[in-house]
Amino acid sequence: MMETRSVVVEYPSIRGVLRLYDQGVSFKVDQGDFLAVLGGSGWGKSTLVNVVLGLEKPFHGSVSFREHDVTRESFVKRCGLVKTAAVFQRPTALPQMTVSQNLHLALSLAGVPRRERDDRIKEALAFFGLDKIERSYPDGLSAGQRRRIDLARALAVKPELLVIDEPTGDLDGSATNLLIPLLRGLNRNQGTTIFMTTALPRQASQAKHQVHLGPPAYLTPENRMIGD
Amino acid sequence: MEKPSWTPIVLSGAIPREATDLLAILVMGIVALETSLGTIGPVSFNSRLWLSLLVVPPTCALAAVSTTTRRTREELALFAYGGSSWQIFLRYFFRGAICSLVAFSPVILLEFFATAPIRELVLSALALILAGGLFYSLPSLRRIRSSSFVEHYKS
Repeated sequence: MMETRSVVVEYPSIRGVLRLYDQGVSFKVDQGDFLAVLGGSGWGKSTLVNVVLGLEKPFHGSVSFREHDVTRESFVKRCGLVKTAAVFQRPTALPQMTVSQNLHLALSLAGVPRRERDDRIKEALAFFGLDKIERSYPDGLSAGQRRRIDLARALAVKPELLVIDEPTGDLDGSATNLLIPLLRGLNRNQGTTIFMTTALPRQASQAKHQVHLGPPAYLTPENRMIGD
Repeated sequence: MEKPSWTPIVLSGAIPREATDLLAILVMGIVALETSLGTIGPVSFNSRLWLSLLVVPPTCALAAVSTTTRRTREELALFAYGGSSWQIFLRYFFRGAICSLVAFSPVILLEFFATAPIRELVLSALALILAGGLFYSLPSLRRIRSSSFVEHYKS
């Protein structure tokens, strides 16, 4: 379904060039898979999510969706090949819309027929325990609730591939304990393919497969020449 | 097969609803009326209207950049929902065009009833739509295309 080959990302920094995934990161996500990318803070987990979604371009390597090279293609083009939904570390719900309006917009954007939208929204809100706050605005809610809105929005679309960046990043202990089994259930019972990043080995161990990232390298003009 | 649609992104945000939009409409409206009704300045209607159109680009750009933080959140959300940069550009283009058209509509109507040439009126309305739409949406397009935009998704 999705594959990366020898992906390397470089950023200019004051210490030289920051090189993420020095040896190149390669992995394959098949239909129904649950892959966790494990790495420390600043090792490029969120960058890898952006590369997979087409929001950032790699310095080296390639990304393919259904065996089409999409390395230079946008998120929208990638969604045309594999219906993808993303949940980022930062909450992304539109602040001027209520919880249910946010879901409505996401579904209408995904082209879900009008008659189906209400049912899907009710289902998603009930699943994540958000039915009582469907008329609330995101800014008045807790971090955990906002994270669940993002998940509800992503899952209401019924994606083939769900990309989640650090799912429990700003959640409290009880919400964290609920979320990972929920993702496992989604993968097992509904067959949703999940690509997740985390800094916690315990969470990564819940996935079917794991990819371990290494720490970034700093390249100065001298060691770049030696490397070359 | 569900087919993604571009209209929700564009239409959900096309109507001016923020305080900055209303202020922009007010400023442009005052300038337009003042130019139209004032006795000082070029005599013919068209040159006066064209002069007052100069206020549209900076006012629309100012309305667009004065809410950058809120706009960025909006843009990030729309991207996460599967929108493209061109859809977001159109969303703000329509909003800017509506702002400038609403602001100038009393003057255009006034001149329409004062039997100004239709061709001139249509041309000035088109100039309004283009200037208002472009200058309202360009800051957003610039933000989305910048390399730092997606950094906002990271904590």
